[in-house]
Amino acid sequence: MRRNVNACWDLAMVWIAVSLLVLMATPATAQVKIRFQTWHWMETPWVKSLEEFQREFNKANPGIEVVRDDSRYADKESVFITQSTAKAAADIPHFSYRPIRHFADRGYLLDLTPFVEKEGGEKYLAQFDQAALEMCKYKGKLYCLPDDLNPLVLMYNTIHFKEVGLDPNKPPATWAEFLDYARKLMKADRWGVGIIGARQEGIFMRFNPWLWGAGGDYLTPDGRRSALDSPEALEGFKFYVELFTKHKLVPPGVIEQGAQEVRTQLAHEKVSMIITLPAAPGIVQAINPKMNVREVMMLAPVPVGKKKVTSAWFSMRVISAFTRNPDAAWKVYKAWHEPESQMRNFKIAGVLSSRLDIKNSPEVKNDKFARVFSAQTPYVKWEPLVPEWPKIGDAMITAIQEGLTGVKTPEQALNDAHAATNRALGAQ
Amino acid sequence: MPTGRTWHDRHLGPLFVLPATLMLAAVLIFPAAMTLKLSLTHEGGGRWSLALVHYLKAFRDPVLAQTFRNTFAFVALSLAGHLLLGLALALALNQALPGQTFFRLIALVPWTVPDVIAGIIFRWVFNPIHGCLNPLLQSVIPGFPANFSWLSSPTLAFPSLIFANIWRGYPLVMVMLLAGLMAIPRELYEAAAVDGAGRVKRFLHVTLPGLSTIILIALALDMVWEFRRFALVLTMTGGGPGTLTEVLSTLVYKSYFQFFTFEYASAIAILMSVVLFILSLPYIVLVGRQQ
Repeated sequence: MRRNVNACWDLAMVWIAVSLLVLMATPATAQVKIRFQTWHWMETPWVKSLEEFQREFNKANPGIEVVRDDSRYADKESVFITQSTAKAAADIPHFSYRPIRHFADRGYLLDLTPFVEKEGGEKYLAQFDQAALEMCKYKGKLYCLPDDLNPLVLMYNTIHFKEVGLDPNKPPATWAEFLDYARKLMKADRWGVGIIGARQEGIFMRFNPWLWGAGGDYLTPDGRRSALDSPEALEGFKFYVELFTKHKLVPPGVIEQGAQEVRTQLAHEKVSMIITLPAAPGIVQAINPKMNVREVMMLAPVPVGKKKVTSAWFSMRVISAFTRNPDAAWKVYKAWHEPESQMRNFKIAGVLSSRLDIKNSPEVKNDKFARVFSAQTPYVKWEPLVPEWPKIGDAMITAIQEGLTGVKTPEQALNDAHAATNRALGAQ
Repeated sequence: MPTGRTWHDRHLGPLFVLPATLMLAAVLIFPAAMTLKLSLTHEGGGRWSLALVHYLKAFRDPVLAQTFRNTFAFVALSLAGHLLLGLALALALNQALPGQTFFRLIALVPWTVPDVIAGIIFRWVFNPIHGCLNPLLQSVIPGFPANFSWLSSPTLAFPSLIFANIWRGYPLVMVMLLAGLMAIPRELYEAAAVDGAGRVKRFLHVTLPGLSTIILIALALDMVWEFRRFALVLTMTGGGPGTLTEVLSTLVYKSYFQFFTFEYASAIAILMSVVLFILSLPYIVLVGRQQ
């Protein structure tokens, strides 16, 4: 019995000693951890930019540790809502501009005005693209600083152009030319153009230039009623869906194709042209490392219909209202928006900053791809920032899918989207 | 008159049940009550009222009506598939065959695949450009179109989804029916054979009556699960084309996390729970009777 008791004591002493050794061997942890949440942590090439930022910030700020927090693009909002409901959201999450006002209304976002005031107020904010900055303001408060602002352009494979006798230096400039080029680029097992039909946020960016380019719009100027019943809206809608249904210029399975699938089709030469973002060259290169993207691909403005217009990917970080360390979070937030970080993000990921000094820098202006994207900024138009937008957008995706698959004629599908939009707005 | 039960005997039972009860209250009753409250709250938050605004809106919502129809069709067809495939495989695997254990394990594999993975697998299988189904069909049916669209077809998207769901979900029914088959006494089959009953009659008059209770339980449980099926639908079709494959769980998800209409989404979730409870009543009654 006594031997057993002694053995227990011996074991306990060994356990305590080992625990103490482990504790002593563990390096002192940073005082404050800031969870930096984005889906880019899992994506090449962005992750390199993020990791460099994290490494440099942590080295320069021993009291604060930037911690990687993964989200997924498709459910970034769900994760944030769930975490915010539990008051446990990441300190700095990442979104597109679309949900910002909804989150602000729910009290999920920290008002950045006091921090910006300390940095110099309007003078500090003057560093950013002012149109983009407006998207961060809501009900007299500032909820974000604009981050990457990326107009959409046409990306095309120059080798395919040469194969069919098209001059790569003369990309399609009008809708008629676009159709003509896409027809000529068709080959066995290769299609002229890749478009998105999947139910995802990215569909709007690729569809909007056609809707707006025809002179159509989602809402009336007062934002109270649907404008989808106009002939112009129908023209733009029909142009998009008929690329697949009538002209057969798009690969089959179109409603299964999201942004990544379409980029994959371009990378593996299944399609010759896509409408895309500044990050696309880097992504296409990552998908097909054998392709010399900077040599093979070229960019051009989106072909023009009645109006010269394009859409944009615009994302921003916010600070959660539930952060326990607002000052440390702001320090990280501010560092992310410093010129060094934004330039690194451009050099590694190819995305364009909302910072005017980066946007107008020689690096951007002399870059083969970036200068094309950057030149489109004046033609960027935004989706309506009404609270009902998510429902309106969903009705539009439904209409696009119904049009693409022939569930309804383009007229019926758009008419139903018009009715659904008015229902969402509470309009008669 | 002394019962022979001590104080401990009389009071310890409830104490043992208490932790589980508290846990259930925390993870089930509390969220359910919060959802109910949210469904009665005006849009954008604030105070709740018994005006039932969101419920009235739900009854007028054409998308919700179609989603209910889709969900019922999805559940009914999935259940039929699970029962037919599950019963067929259970009968086959109940035979004394070489490698019986191996085949039983293989038949269980779909049950081990998470919904999201199953959805991704079937999206690839059905993909018209680089999927494996079209080349397979081409090798069997000469002249089958190389780029045939399944999930992008308004007529084939729903059947394709059901097919994937039958593959993913039959093992549960199979395992339950296999257990039921193993419990039917051999003597009954021998006696029926002596009386001149053939295979079909033995199946109809011995196997099916012997399995009837288990079939009911299996279908009731399966119905509850299929009614809530979410990830497979979201991953494979996202509810499309249009809203042709939208089911209640994906609509609740969209309404809550994509439209940010928390209150309306909660009302749909409550309606879904009520329907599910009504559909589960036969199972609840059956289990109650057995106890």
